[in-house]
Amino acid sequence: MKRAVLSVCILALALILTACGPTPSDSAVSTGDSASGDHAFDYGGDVTLRILSGSENQELEGILDDFARERGVNIEMDYRGSLDIMRTLQGESIDYDAVWPASSLWLTAGDTQYRVKHTQSISITPVVFGIRQSLAEELGFVGTEVSVSDLLSAIQSGKLNFCMTSATQSNSGCSAYIGFLYALLGNPDVITSESLQTPGLSEQITQLLSGVDRSSGSSDWLKDLFLTGGYDAMVNYECLIISANQELEARGEETLYAVYPYDGLSIADSPLGYVDNGDAEKEQAFLDLQEYLLSDEVQNEIQRTGRRTGYEGVSAENADVFRADWGIQPDRVLSPIRMPSTEVLMECLNLYQTEFRKPSLTIYCLDYSGSMEGTGREQMVEAMSQILIQENAEKNLLQASEHEVNILIPFEGYPRDIYTAVGNGSELESLYTKVEAEEATGGTDIYAAATESLRQLGNYDLSQYTPAIILLTDGVSDGSIDAFQTAYEAFGADVPVFSIMFGSADPTQLEELAELTHARVFDGREDLIGAFRSVKGYN
Amino acid sequence: MGSKSKWIGLIILLAVIGAAAVYLFLGGGPQPEPAVLRGYVGGEKIGLLEDEAVQDILDRNYGLTLDYAKAGSLDMVTADHEGRNFLFPSSQTALEYYQQLYGAPDRSQIVFNTPIVLYTHRPILEAFQKEGLVTERDGVYYMDMAGLVAEIEAGTAWADLGLPELYGTVAVNTTDPVRSNSGNMFAGLLANVLCGGVADEDSVEAVLPRLQAIFEKLGYMEASSSDLFDQFLKTGMGAKPMIAGYENQLLEFAVENPEDWEQLKDDIVLIYPTPTVWSSHIYIALDEAGEAGIDALMDEEIQRLAWENHGFRTEVSGTGADEDHFGVPHLAAEITQVAAMPSYAAMEKIIAALS
Repeated sequence: MKRAVLSVCILALALILTACGPTPSDSAVSTGDSASGDHAFDYGGDVTLRILSGSENQELEGILDDFARERGVNIEMDYRGSLDIMRTLQGESIDYDAVWPASSLWLTAGDTQYRVKHTQSISITPVVFGIRQSLAEELGFVGTEVSVSDLLSAIQSGKLNFCMTSATQSNSGCSAYIGFLYALLGNPDVITSESLQTPGLSEQITQLLSGVDRSSGSSDWLKDLFLTGGYDAMVNYECLIISANQELEARGEETLYAVYPYDGLSIADSPLGYVDNGDAEKEQAFLDLQEYLLSDEVQNEIQRTGRRTGYEGVSAENADVFRADWGIQPDRVLSPIRMPSTEVLMECLNLYQTEFRKPSLTIYCLDYSGSMEGTGREQMVEAMSQILIQENAEKNLLQASEHEVNILIPFEGYPRDIYTAVGNGSELESLYTKVEAEEATGGTDIYAAATESLRQLGNYDLSQYTPAIILLTDGVSDGSIDAFQTAYEAFGADVPVFSIMFGSADPTQLEELAELTHARVFDGREDLIGAFRSVKGYN
Repeated sequence: MGSKSKWIGLIILLAVIGAAAVYLFLGGGPQPEPAVLRGYVGGEKIGLLEDEAVQDILDRNYGLTLDYAKAGSLDMVTADHEGRNFLFPSSQTALEYYQQLYGAPDRSQIVFNTPIVLYTHRPILEAFQKEGLVTERDGVYYMDMAGLVAEIEAGTAWADLGLPELYGTVAVNTTDPVRSNSGNMFAGLLANVLCGGVADEDSVEAVLPRLQAIFEKLGYMEASSSDLFDQFLKTGMGAKPMIAGYENQLLEFAVENPEDWEQLKDDIVLIYPTPTVWSSHIYIALDEAGEAGIDALMDEEIQRLAWENHGFRTEVSGTGADEDHFGVPHLAAEITQVAAMPSYAAMEKIIAALS
């Protein structure tokens, strides 16, 4: 009887709802932007899941879009680095419904208050070296087992330069870095606090990291950067090497050969967990999403993106994705290194940030035009305090290192001044007092400031640094890119001009700069401090 | 659909509401409101408490609803007990801890048990069999724990056991013994092995450095037993060659995911440590109201469901037909080689050493 009553009720409700319910729109309303890559799938559903995710999941947006459309659950994806995700979990309140970092390592380290539940791994992918096919052959890495030491000698002899993400911002870079440490320490069972004091380690790892061409705050963007051309190798997830190769092959360019260092391998297990803020409806929507992602059909779709899914390994029909001629080994037993305990890991990361990494050479071009007066200027000053005041920077593992150089160019219609700070001591903090002191007045010319930056960079041996120009602006710029482009091409070095868009800045002007210099635009309109932190994570 | 059908829908709905009201009025209404018991529960029992058949019995026969928050077995002892009627941790250690802090509880009862076991993959099992560390008796695999600890302490490489595809040295992955019960119990089990008998407050002192060395080598450890088990199944033989967990984890997984288990059963194997320890799921009543939960959970039918659907050993387990019921080969009918866990005082020293 109960059941019959229920079904009649459902039928009656269905008749009412279909007649007067909202019409689902045909396309998702994207509240995201090209800069941060954040993306919302909104088909007018009743529930919204806000997911804090690693950038590598951007490639699964088509799958999430299908779910949002079919089930009427809105999804908002916020892409962050693994360390940012860890810190968010450590916070007092978590403003998300779910987390989806690259590796469970960050989830376990962050969720000390046990607020994440229903965690399940969605797919698996190892961190590997992708090396241009002909170079891999030349180095003797094709069709054989390669150790981290083999890679290190190629790097040390100058035959191999590579791109990687920042170890302190992104899981793939961190995994590679830990693999390097193991190899340099002679492959102990586990890295300990004491072993980090081993004499000579500091020199060796510093030399090794000097072979890094370009750094990045996120794995997905590293792949995009690589595809702009001109690089030999990158450390990245197997699935992103596969996707880069698909693009390279379509363009008729040389593809990458995947190398799995047997003594330095790590695995990203892509755990998706629910943040319990006590909303039963969201919890159900989350469980539906998880079940959907783990269903046979969707697992196969995910496998088609180059991720390993299911219990039986890569299926025969997907062998065309996991291609042997690219060095991909879907049947390989993935036997990773042991990650050190969270405490030791944090110690490793601090050393990377303050000592081991290639020192950065950063030029901050800050817009002090009249329109910045008031909250604009205040927010900018506050954002800079997060980077220049080392006590603040430490919280986000963004500290300066001993040999790095920071240059401040406050500008309006022209570059006003040039202030240089070397190292991570008092000079850096006094740079902040300059930031505080500048008044907002006058017009805007980003090109003049950027061109002046190039002139300043001319004073340094750039092979010793990871150089970058970080440009913040809030308005349409005078001038045009032409003069800067001429200067940039004449300068002839690979220096990115990252911009932070603020106020009524013109995105096309900034995108033009980013494209020319293999950089990207960050959106500071909603969260300027967050944008500064992100951009700093890229060098 | 037009507005006409909308009106028809509305009329049907009103008619149904009217009919339902009459039905309820004539005596088909719900039972009296069930009493709600609130408490803390270890995560590994959530599957059981969410089981509709279990909830049904609690409600129908005992008028009870168990409302729980998930908490670690030791954490829940020190948590705020205001408004809580019970604790349901996964070890005797938690009860001892409770007694030390607050004295004897109103009532406590072991509701069911599950032994700590090892999970591994077939090629690794075979390698251990060749070494003579794993022996088979009545179709059940047993691990010589003293022998295994010797390999771990010696730093034997997997390659030395004939497994060159595995990088690194022999290890058993566990959850963090400071944060999670299964890792905590495995640490107790290892302390027993190192002491050559049940470790007590005094004898444990001498083996603490060795215990520390074994756990230090593991590096990063998961905080939750279910996460560790999920990773063990999904990341393959290379990532987590062998883990320590609860026996019920695999049994529950096989019942709940028969298709997945069908794909895995030729590879995943269950090994019983010799000796093992019991994880005793003990219900602690914090007040008089909470005591009702004990009788309800000891209900014959719930005890049967706990075993058949969730793999917790109760009075009804060990009938011999269990292997077929779960479809899990090499399942022991009875757990015979069990040592007691080290006392709470000894465990306190172990935890301090591993923190």
